[in-house]
Amino acid sequence: MEAALPPTERTRAAVAGARANVAAVLGSQPRGDVARNNLFAGLLLLAVLIALAGLVALLAQAFVEGAPAIGTKLFTEPPSTIDTANAGFRPALIGSVTMIVFVVVLIVPIGVGAAIWLEEYADGTRWWNRVIELNIQNLAAVPSIIYGILGLGLIVRGPLDLGFILFAGAMTLALLVLPIVIIAAREALRAVPPSIREGSLALGATAWQTTRRQVLPAAIPGIATGIILAVARALGETAPLLLVGATVFVTADPTPFEGNYSALPVQIFQYATRPQEDFQTLAAAGIILMLFVLIAMNSVAIWLRNRYEQRW
Amino acid sequence: MAAQGTRRAYQEELEKLEVRALEGLDLVVEAIERASEAVQHSDVELAELVIASDDVIDGRYLEVHQSILTLLATQAPVASDLRLISALLHVMKCLERMGDQCVNIAKMIPIAGHEPPADERMLTDIVTMTGAVRDLVRQAKKAFESRDVGLARDLVRQDDIVDNLNRECFRRAIQIGDSEDRREWAMTMMLIARAIERIGDNAVDVGEQVAFLVTGLFREFEDASHPGEDLASQSG
Amino acid sequence: MSESVTREDERTSDPVRETGASHPSVAIETRHTGLPARSDENVFELKDLSVHYGDNPAVKNISMDIYHKNITALIGPSGCGKSTLIRCLNRMNDLIPTARVDGELLYHGEDLYGPNVDPVQVRKMIGMVFQKPNPFPKSIYDNIAFGPRILGMKGDMDEIVERALRRGAIWDEVKDRLDDNAFGMSGGQQQRLCIARCIAVEPDVILMDEPCSALDPISTGKIEDLMMELKENYSIVIVTHNMQQAARVSDMTAFLIVELTADERNRWGEIVEYDDTEKIFTNPADSRTEDYVTGKVG
Repeated sequence: MEAALPPTERTRAAVAGARANVAAVLGSQPRGDVARNNLFAGLLLLAVLIALAGLVALLAQAFVEGAPAIGTKLFTEPPSTIDTANAGFRPALIGSVTMIVFVVVLIVPIGVGAAIWLEEYADGTRWWNRVIELNIQNLAAVPSIIYGILGLGLIVRGPLDLGFILFAGAMTLALLVLPIVIIAAREALRAVPPSIREGSLALGATAWQTTRRQVLPAAIPGIATGIILAVARALGETAPLLLVGATVFVTADPTPFEGNYSALPVQIFQYATRPQEDFQTLAAAGIILMLFVLIAMNSVAIWLRNRYEQRW
Repeated sequence: MAAQGTRRAYQEELEKLEVRALEGLDLVVEAIERASEAVQHSDVELAELVIASDDVIDGRYLEVHQSILTLLATQAPVASDLRLISALLHVMKCLERMGDQCVNIAKMIPIAGHEPPADERMLTDIVTMTGAVRDLVRQAKKAFESRDVGLARDLVRQDDIVDNLNRECFRRAIQIGDSEDRREWAMTMMLIARAIERIGDNAVDVGEQVAFLVTGLFREFEDASHPGEDLASQSG
Repeated sequence: MSESVTREDERTSDPVRETGASHPSVAIETRHTGLPARSDENVFELKDLSVHYGDNPAVKNISMDIYHKNITALIGPSGCGKSTLIRCLNRMNDLIPTARVDGELLYHGEDLYGPNVDPVQVRKMIGMVFQKPNPFPKSIYDNIAFGPRILGMKGDMDEIVERALRRGAIWDEVKDRLDDNAFGMSGGQQQRLCIARCIAVEPDVILMDEPCSALDPISTGKIEDLMMELKENYSIVIVTHNMQQAARVSDMTAFLIVELTADERNRWGEIVEYDDTEKIFTNPADSRTEDYVTGKVG
């Protein structure tokens, strides 16, 4: 049929046909696909909103309830069962911060060291290494109260027999959050490309030189993130501390190696269990205080991490 | 033979190139036959044809030469492919010279004149020579196509026959006599004989290229500075 | 045509004919006389070397000598074990737990896999450049300085870094930005940085595992030029897929092929031919080499 048309007509027909094809392909998308796309996006957004909503509701309630009690007294005054106007969180604050410091001092060398050994030195094909790996994953999922029992049995009493001191609490918390650090540090180490290690070894560096000067520096951001997560968890844990002696109502500032101590979550719990309205307010204020401490600590950690990341 | 394995387009191109190049030898055979005929019958018109047809040979030379350059630039041949290209270049040069020698022969014919030949024997020798070199060229082509080194070496022996006839012609030319006409004729015939002898040498050169292609070593079968020494039959 | 060779060349099978002193020899060889200066010293001597990963062979029966201040190229199809072989030379195969090396590998006459040999020391003398440029996530200066620092090299670090960058033909491009991150450079520059980094520790041998395969032609050309300069001071072994590159830069070429067991379950590499590069590419002795370099099989 095309043979019957003169050349110019043929060309025009061909061009028109081609254009129509292209328009058909580009212009249309099956309406079912578009609808499904939008629906799915909508559902995902809904999930985000629900998660956020819960968090926002929590924070809102805490702020609304605790607003009246916010003031410098929270930091400076010891707790009281009677005088709500002048009650504070001072010993608990000092106790929590001190414990966190000890926890960090404990988990950084042990956790990072364990991760380095597992990732760089251990022979992954050996069965015992695989057992270790599996168990570290399990440990991260163990309920925290178990660590409390462990602390009570081995640290406070038992072989170490330290008694109900702050350091014992710190050790217990450290054990609790150690798996988090190890897992995060391992992921960070694994994320360093093997080509970096090969390049270093090919120059005649030992495995340790390679780890210390190439791999670790490159993994710092990931490791720091792990530590931040661990600290956040440790700050908020109540159950194990209940078992290792933070339950005592403490009014004096705690010392690390002797005497009674308290921690923020425990103090909040103690206030919250009292019937009076004022104590509820104080408990809510305590939550705000704890959040503030957490944000402050995280900011320091993130600042440190970013600062280290700049250096080549 | 269909190209096997990878780089088929390249292999086919190479094969085609060889065929085009060697066809040039057929053109040379044709030129020799015409020249021979022209000499035998003092056919000036045929001589003109030989001269004109040399353009075809030259054209073939240029065509193959250009194809070789293109192949070198685009395909970077190595090993035996590289030796083949190199050999074909040499062969084309020899081929072009053979064509030129036929033209030289053809140019002599009008000068020789139309009278009966001064020396019949000389003429028959020359015709024999043309037949011999024609066979030489054919054999050279066959040796190249079949990569037969033995056949290539045999060219030396056959070329010796041509050389001997050339010397014989020279001898007879010296004894042709005092007549200026006869001497003129004899010298012309001598020049023709020499041109034929050159064709023979070029055919032997083609044979040497066959040996190079196959063995990777370039050796002259017979060196002008060592006449009579047949190195082709020595070891190596 | 080149001048003929009138001395007996040990490496050819047929000695060249000698004629009278007044004539050049009639037999004209295609091999040129200007062979690269090859000292009689061998950097590496491999005798029946084979490498297995567990039970699977990777290369077998490798016997060859690698010469001093030469560029030696290893070519062959994929899977013929070229990388495995080159990684034996600086004991990088030690990093793979299942790797096992049998046979003899001598480095300047010493057994490289001897019981008292420390692989770390080996790698200080035999450096390696990898296929994909792998600069450290540090500044250009620190990239170069890393090696000398950990090896405790004496001297002014600035000078050491500058010398290495000059020898790596990259000084002019980076001298004003030594503190910049190494990842800011182009691929070709990164690879030259890696070469400079390798040179900074002053090795004896440089191994290159397909150094140009990830680079554009201009960078490749620059690195090839660099190799020709480096040849004066270092012995170089290069694995390459690019036949033209092997032909261009190397003095000696080894061709490996893949062998299969009858059931085709195991494959390993073996040397087919090892000779002057010029011979491999103009007149190889083995037909398998011929088929590979002309591209008919591969």
